Amino acid sequence: MRSPAQIMQLMARETRPRPGGVPRTLGGLPIPDNARRFAGGQFVLRTGTGYAFHYMPGEGVAVERSAGADPAEDELWRFGSVYAAIACLNGLYPLHASAVAWQGQVHAFTGPSGAGKSTLVAGLGQRGLPLFCDDTLLLSFDDPARIVALPGHKRLKLTDGALGLSGAQAISPVGSDTGKSYAAPPSGDIRQPCELASLSFLEQGDLAELEPVTGAERFALLEDDHYTQALYLEAQSPSHAALFALRARLARKLAMARLTRPFSGDGFAKSVDLAETAIRTFALGD
Amino acid sequence: MSTKLAKATTRFSETEIDDEVVVMSLESGDFFSLTGTAQAIWTLIDGTRTRAALLTELAAQFDVEESALAGDLDAFLAQLEAAGLLEAD
Repeated sequence: MRSPAQIMQLMARETRPRPGGVPRTLGGLPIPDNARRFAGGQFVLRTGTGYAFHYMPGEGVAVERSAGADPAEDELWRFGSVYAAIACLNGLYPLHASAVAWQGQVHAFTGPSGAGKSTLVAGLGQRGLPLFCDDTLLLSFDDPARIVALPGHKRLKLTDGALGLSGAQAISPVGSDTGKSYAAPPSGDIRQPCELASLSFLEQGDLAELEPVTGAERFALLEDDHYTQALYLEAQSPSHAALFALRARLARKLAMARLTRPFSGDGFAKSVDLAETAIRTFALGD
Repeated sequence: MSTKLAKATTRFSETEIDDEVVVMSLESGDFFSLTGTAQAIWTLIDGTRTRAALLTELAAQFDVEESALAGDLDAFLAQLEAAGLLEAD
């Protein structure tokens, strides 16, 4: 069994970037722009915006950038799809989620892009809860007794609207036409692996409310089609039985809730209240 | 029907979450949530009981006439069979 510290070291080593050429084929098949491919434990991504990445076990990530490509995009890809792909190839499971920590446990919020994951954890930061990760949460199932979450990259990416709602301070533009700014987490961040305690699913609705999710609905929500799940399926090609076992473990171990709220100032404040309540309610026992 | 009913144990995975039993067909990836009577029937299908024995035991468990449960039992057994979750006779 790998310890969380060993997994952290592994990910730090395997995600090291270096300038280098990226092959045009992998496993005998061509990789056009706007495409990606896993083969033989390797991963190649061509973005269509002048970037290409090649991960090879033990070699880190070769990054190819064509003249005119936006320098700001490098980190967006490497800390997003490339990071998640490398995690999948190294026995980890990525969730499309942002998370905070409380009393040594992690509480994650998932939803599609634009669902307000980063904004919510920024708002929770204003309530004193430190950031654990933004957008991609890596999970380790190595320890049979607990699901361990690995801390992620430490800058929030927020739109102007999200900055206004959450009260977070912008540091610099993210660039690459995202319309977002990097922001420091208001209550700092956690850099140690911690047990994952809860997962809340963000949805938009007229009223702010928090409902526990039980039984088979947990499975249904875990099947939601996020970019992280697509990468995992491509990287691991898990059998139905393996996928069932993985989801069963998540469904049995974690507290789960659906957090519905309107996208308005009042609604946001209420949703942060509810998220904070959920975190305190869902803390795992000893 | 005097055949003893048995689950096709190599064709599904199952787990219990809260008060539900979740069963997934390994062939299709479809999953089913079993509660109430369906869960009771699923639990009783263990290779030792015929349809008639199942019905008798269910009626006792739910304290109702067998005739009140027969339709539900047959419908559920047909669903399990269609999903490939029962051993062939």
